[in-house]
Amino acid sequence: MESRRYVIVGGSAAGMAAAVAIRDHDPHGSVRVLSDEADAPYFRPLIPFVVSRKKSVADMFLRGRGPYRAQGIELSLGVRAERIDSPARRLVTDHGETIPYDRLLIATGSRPNIPAGISGLEHQGVFALRTLEDARQAARRAEETTRAVMLGGGLLNLKAAFALLERGIEVTLVVYSAEVLSQLMEPADALLIRRALDQAGLRILTGCSAGHILGGDRGVSGVVLDDGRELPCQMVCIGKGVRPNTEWLDAGAIKVDRGVVVDKHTHASIPDVYAAGDVAVTYDPITGAPIITGLWTNAVEMGRCAGANMAGYPSVYGGTFGVLNATQVARMPFVSMGIVHTAGTEYETWCRGSADAYRKLVFTPDGDRLVGALFVGDITNAGLYRLVIRERMQVGGMKRQLVDHRLHYGHLLCARDRG
Amino acid sequence: MNQPKEIFVRIDRCMGCHSCEVACAVAHSAGQSLYAALSETPTPKPRLYVEWVAPDTAVPIVCRHCEDAPCMHACIAGAISRTPGGVVMTDKDKCIGCWTCVMVCPYGVIGRHLEEHKAYRCDRCPDREVPACVDACPVKSLVYQTATAFSRGKRRTASHELQSGQKG
Repeated sequence: MESRRYVIVGGSAAGMAAAVAIRDHDPHGSVRVLSDEADAPYFRPLIPFVVSRKKSVADMFLRGRGPYRAQGIELSLGVRAERIDSPARRLVTDHGETIPYDRLLIATGSRPNIPAGISGLEHQGVFALRTLEDARQAARRAEETTRAVMLGGGLLNLKAAFALLERGIEVTLVVYSAEVLSQLMEPADALLIRRALDQAGLRILTGCSAGHILGGDRGVSGVVLDDGRELPCQMVCIGKGVRPNTEWLDAGAIKVDRGVVVDKHTHASIPDVYAAGDVAVTYDPITGAPIITGLWTNAVEMGRCAGANMAGYPSVYGGTFGVLNATQVARMPFVSMGIVHTAGTEYETWCRGSADAYRKLVFTPDGDRLVGALFVGDITNAGLYRLVIRERMQVGGMKRQLVDHRLHYGHLLCARDRG
Repeated sequence: MNQPKEIFVRIDRCMGCHSCEVACAVAHSAGQSLYAALSETPTPKPRLYVEWVAPDTAVPIVCRHCEDAPCMHACIAGAISRTPGGVVMTDKDKCIGCWTCVMVCPYGVIGRHLEEHKAYRCDRCPDREVPACVDACPVKSLVYQTATAFSRGKRRTASHELQSGQKG
């Protein structure tokens, strides 16, 4: 048998995880990864550390770290895929190269979502932190910045905000929603985090948005809000979510519905073409609804699954929760996963709060299954709760432990033995 | 290839004395003795956990160093990797304390050093012949063997039980 030619479009989480998985399963095939970035693959979630200057760029590269140690993966940087010639099984690049493939992975990821209604985006000092290069530029801009305005109250922007705070910059966060982190929790659930953010010195304006960005020769000079308030600043960061990079695909030839539609084996609608990561549409195992996520961890998991399938080892992707985040901001750790927005729903919810911790557990209306969990302050054993949600376990006798946040692996083990 | 040894748990033997936890914490302290460990800051912490399931079962829970380790693949900083000996290891210097590993570990065996803002986990005591927890277990509930040897032992026990049952 001739060795297979694997071509991967996109050199971030999904693409590189797939490349490594292919290598694990098929030592003989050729694996080539194309990336439109000039930098070698890196851990994208680390880029705020470039802005804060707490890590050097050299510490962020992917290869040789964690599970990314496979040899024999050819990287082509600064190359953009232009189209897939499916009948001829070739990929055409912007360099005019045609690359034949036996298996192709679309892992082009996503890019920042820039709201249409804001003017003045062209000024120097306006960023949407996505790439390492963005982070380098933001780090330089920070040198001449005393005040920064962040548009959007999501996790990415919060991390960027803290990176700037650490550089001694005054930071104002402009949030359209009623509270920060609205994708990950409801306003009432965010109280502890909000307090921690306020104490950390972040200025937060909720319920408003930016109308236009002011600037001149020296770049950004301020932001005018929709309510007329003007915030002087030398830097603006836009963190309004991401959009899948599907424009280069011929939607007539391959099924695209916001992202690339794939089956449970991560196979797209044309032969021998797969998709994984931010660009792919997957489904939520709790609700069954199609979703697109922009999460590193999900992209890796899906990429690994795609890699195994491409190498001929059938592997089913079990989908992912739309919400699946762990982090720590302002010394407040939190984990949010599954269904955590419950206002106006029938879900059975249990909330407990204390001075330094808060938790919310969401069950199906009949109370039999856990569908979501939010832990703030104390995130002990969060992984077990994820397992209970994901496996759709009947909670039965474990419910007390679940609600009291006392669940440990022994409970699951004994429940299984007795079940 | 030499099969690496692993820590196996024989739950039926555990009586919940927590000796393994103490030994683990001491083994991961600077002073390497119980008395010195007690006064260290941050307090040395165990990397395995003896939990209680009502009415009468004690369950030692220890990192499995999973073949398909979810923590390693989920880590957003590349801080978790596998040693040639099969041990899944967290590199403290690379850990950024995002707790993604805690969110994905289905056993709940990844701990958090709050003071240092770093995750920690079982390292199978790389400098010792036998991990401290196994050494300390007075009832041999924890054993350090290759998977082959452990399952051979299991089979032998089962066949003895079967045999004595037939005689009875």
